[in-house]
Amino acid sequence: MRDAPKYRRLFELRLGGARRSALEMDLEIESHIAMRIADLVRQGLTPEAARIAALARFGNFDAARARLQAGAYQRDRMLSQRDRLGVVLADLRYAVRQARRTPGFVAAVVVTLALGIGANTAMFSIVDRLLFRAPTMLRHPSLSHRIYLADAYRGQTSYSAYIPYARYIDFTKSTTAFSRFAQVNEIGMAIGAGADTRQVQVGVVTASFFDFFDAPPALGRYYTPTEDRPPNGAPVVVLSYGLWQTAYGGARDVLGAPIQIGATTYSIIGVAPRGFVGLWPDSPPAAFVPLAAYAPEISARMLGSGDRWWTTYNFTWAKVIAERKPNVSVATAAADLSRAYERSYQEAMSTAAGRQPLSVDRPGAIVASIISERGPNESSTAKVATWISGVAVIVWLIACANVANLLLARALRRRREIAVRLALGVSRARLASQLLTESLLLSLGGGVIGVAVAQWGGVLLRSHFLSSSARPAVATDGPTLLYAGAAALLAGLLADLAPMLQTRRADLVDPLKAGVREGTCQRSRLRGALLVFQGALSVVLLVGAGLFVRSLRAVNEVPLGYDATHLLTVDLSMRGVSLDSAQNIALRQRLIEAAESHPDVTSATRQLSVPFLSHWAVQLYVPGIDSVARLGQFELNAVSSEYFKTMGTRILAGRAIGPADRDGSPQVMVVSQAMAKMLWPGRNPIGQCVRVQADTLPCTYVVGVAEDIKVRELDNDPGLFYYLSAAQFHPDAGGLFVRTRRPANEVQADIRTHLQRVMPGTSYVEVWPMSELVGEQSRSWRLGATMFVVFGALALLIAAIGLYSAVAYNVAQRTHELGVRAALGARMQDLTRLVVRETMQVTLLGVALGTAIALVAAPWVAPLLFRESPRDPWVFGVVAGVVFVVAAIASVLPAQRAARADPMWALRSD
Amino acid sequence: MDDGLPLLKGTLDLLVLKTLSWGPLHGYAIATWLEERSEGTLGVDDSALYQALQRMEGRGLLAAEWGTTDNNRRARYYKLTAAGRRRLREESATWMRYTQSVSSILSLASRTV
Repeated sequence: MRDAPKYRRLFELRLGGARRSALEMDLEIESHIAMRIADLVRQGLTPEAARIAALARFGNFDAARARLQAGAYQRDRMLSQRDRLGVVLADLRYAVRQARRTPGFVAAVVVTLALGIGANTAMFSIVDRLLFRAPTMLRHPSLSHRIYLADAYRGQTSYSAYIPYARYIDFTKSTTAFSRFAQVNEIGMAIGAGADTRQVQVGVVTASFFDFFDAPPALGRYYTPTEDRPPNGAPVVVLSYGLWQTAYGGARDVLGAPIQIGATTYSIIGVAPRGFVGLWPDSPPAAFVPLAAYAPEISARMLGSGDRWWTTYNFTWAKVIAERKPNVSVATAAADLSRAYERSYQEAMSTAAGRQPLSVDRPGAIVASIISERGPNESSTAKVATWISGVAVIVWLIACANVANLLLARALRRRREIAVRLALGVSRARLASQLLTESLLLSLGGGVIGVAVAQWGGVLLRSHFLSSSARPAVATDGPTLLYAGAAALLAGLLADLAPMLQTRRADLVDPLKAGVREGTCQRSRLRGALLVFQGALSVVLLVGAGLFVRSLRAVNEVPLGYDATHLLTVDLSMRGVSLDSAQNIALRQRLIEAAESHPDVTSATRQLSVPFLSHWAVQLYVPGIDSVARLGQFELNAVSSEYFKTMGTRILAGRAIGPADRDGSPQVMVVSQAMAKMLWPGRNPIGQCVRVQADTLPCTYVVGVAEDIKVRELDNDPGLFYYLSAAQFHPDAGGLFVRTRRPANEVQADIRTHLQRVMPGTSYVEVWPMSELVGEQSRSWRLGATMFVVFGALALLIAAIGLYSAVAYNVAQRTHELGVRAALGARMQDLTRLVVRETMQVTLLGVALGTAIALVAAPWVAPLLFRESPRDPWVFGVVAGVVFVVAAIASVLPAQRAARADPMWALRSD
Repeated sequence: MDDGLPLLKGTLDLLVLKTLSWGPLHGYAIATWLEERSEGTLGVDDSALYQALQRMEGRGLLAAEWGTTDNNRRARYYKLTAAGRRRLREESATWMRYTQSVSSILSLASRTV
């Protein structure tokens, strides 16, 4: 009963209220009875009889009195509630009136807040989607995980999401911490037949996948484990709701209908519910097929004939998700899974030779978030999004500082008003609540407009961050609005902090004595600090923007060794068609001819590998060199005679692959400059002999040297690359490069249709602009540069608004002083210089502080940059210059007003 | 008695509002005013009157403050608020319509019986 005194006090308080009401009621009854007695006595009754009669009018007097006392208490409580509401309403009315009187001030505050809140809300909606939103319909989002395997390779730990089917089965058998597992992948496949063939995403998932979701089928059923059993499963398919609607018009008799997906004809057994996207909200699958039904198709292409896809540990193409048991912690589950992985690893070692021992690989497993962007292998987009969110918070801070400054300026101006109200007996608490109401009203306005800004600017942001997403581009869902509201509220409170402190310190006497002029003329040190703070943060953001822009330029200036803007890559998908080698060679020849007949095509060539997409490497043997492999990875392409012309890769010495390099003629190769230097330093590479694949094979002679090209990454690409004649090496494989007259993405669709006419049966071509593959490489820098510039500019804009309003306000307050100066003989330019100089002092401090912060933060930014020092003096210089120019512009207008100060007005007004 | 109360309560509220429409009065004055106007036909129970006053004050139809009577006695004076005035207008209109229809029906019935 430790709390007894507290309860008693509470009780007494309530009793006190009731007692006060009862007392008042008694007084009222007493006065009523007294008046009636007086009346009755006047009518002739004796006082005693009159008293009895008066009491009788109440019926049972004691009961009536008790009832009335209780009623009085009830009434008083209702009234006090009404009073409190009334106070709030009065504050609101006052705040609105105050706002209407100062529209410029309100506009500055609301716009500033709207920009700050809008930037944050827009970023939040993106980060929320990327990092926090679990797939919809997931039964237990917090218990569902993606499984990653950790492998130590050359001292570095890497995390792999792709896990062999055999290992997945091992996991289901030898773990206890999980209630279910599923193996999943999403694969682009051709759906339909003939001219209607389309490329769609298909979920390839085990039957257990659907148990992770609370998503009963809209029609029919999901497939069962027996239909998903190795080696072949059953050719059944569950359509997405979208495909059911678009391709079948939502007809209920689709069950049992055949549909061709990839190389297999499936039978429709069900339709997933509307909005079901599995694990892929950004690219919702059009259909779901059993993993065991699709696996033979992919394993036939990629697996040796001796291996069976469901038992080998050497074939990884799908991921694993698992649902943890509710009473098991993530750490325990990970330990359980790691043990299972070790056992499975030893199992695999006994069946496959050439594995590293357990002690070297140190296999481990990670139970990660179901949201893949949360790592361990998060995308660069997610990283940049996280960074930009931080940047948005800084913009918001700048906005808060700005608003605090404006409120402070107003509080100073209203010092007299406040002093008067304090003198009239208004309590400080009452005054504080008044001021808080005002600033909350302002921040609310900022929040509402901020959401509009987020809506409008968010479209732009989302197109950058979620470009591949099929999800709609709106930011008005619950969590986002909640976030905007919180950002607005917090901004209001934060910005109100400074003026609030000012009010608490507010002295009663001084402002009253001094009058308006001197009471407000004092410069506030706090306001100066806020301006410096704003300026410093803007400088930091702008330096970030500058560094990213320079990085992006460096990325764009990296010589690729080919021209990607007018280049299309053509891949062949031989679905359902099997050609022999001669037919394959003929088909590729027909495709080349078809391509060259298209008016938008200047040339076309065969290819076996595509930079940034596919890679080929075989063993090389060079006379005089012990182990060529020790020197690095040599990658190759097999090309036809138009290759170098098509790609725009220059031949530096010797000749290119020509039409004469046919099957049967001497084997030739063209090597890259880097490769020539590596293998034959200081010697002429032309005419050198290289044996390809085996040292017993005849020489392949080097006939030319080509410039280096980028194939794996933009930085640090070793460039050890060579070209063989497609007629001499794998003539029946590979696709095409096509050089276009117009930008490749404009003619992509047309050329695809054009080439498709040559393809036999249900086979088809896929055509991609090469610039997309290259662009993917520079994506994170492009994103970083765009976003930093946008937010940096926003920060500068807000800081400029802040600076402008602060200077303008100061000038307005100093009209008298400036007028006196003018009367004493100060010239226009003197007054202007006076105002501008003070602004520049603040700006200088801000730039100095911001530069210092940016220099200190440099080591953290360095890994995000491309061939750019985080302390680039050029960037720092330009940023300082820009900030000074903006500050000068922001101070010129008020300064001119200062210069026009009329001495007569100033003197008269006193 | 219980059966009659709801109608009485509504009526009493309306009458009190009407009484106060000429200006602030204390509880006793309201009681006597009602007695005189109805020439004794409306016997208003004092405790019911004060309950009505409390209820209407709690709802914001009335406001009250302590004042002094002509005889120098302290008493609580009630007056109509804006909401009270509005309520009086609405309620009396409804009441008039109601009584008119009821009485017209009753007079019709007495002819045909």
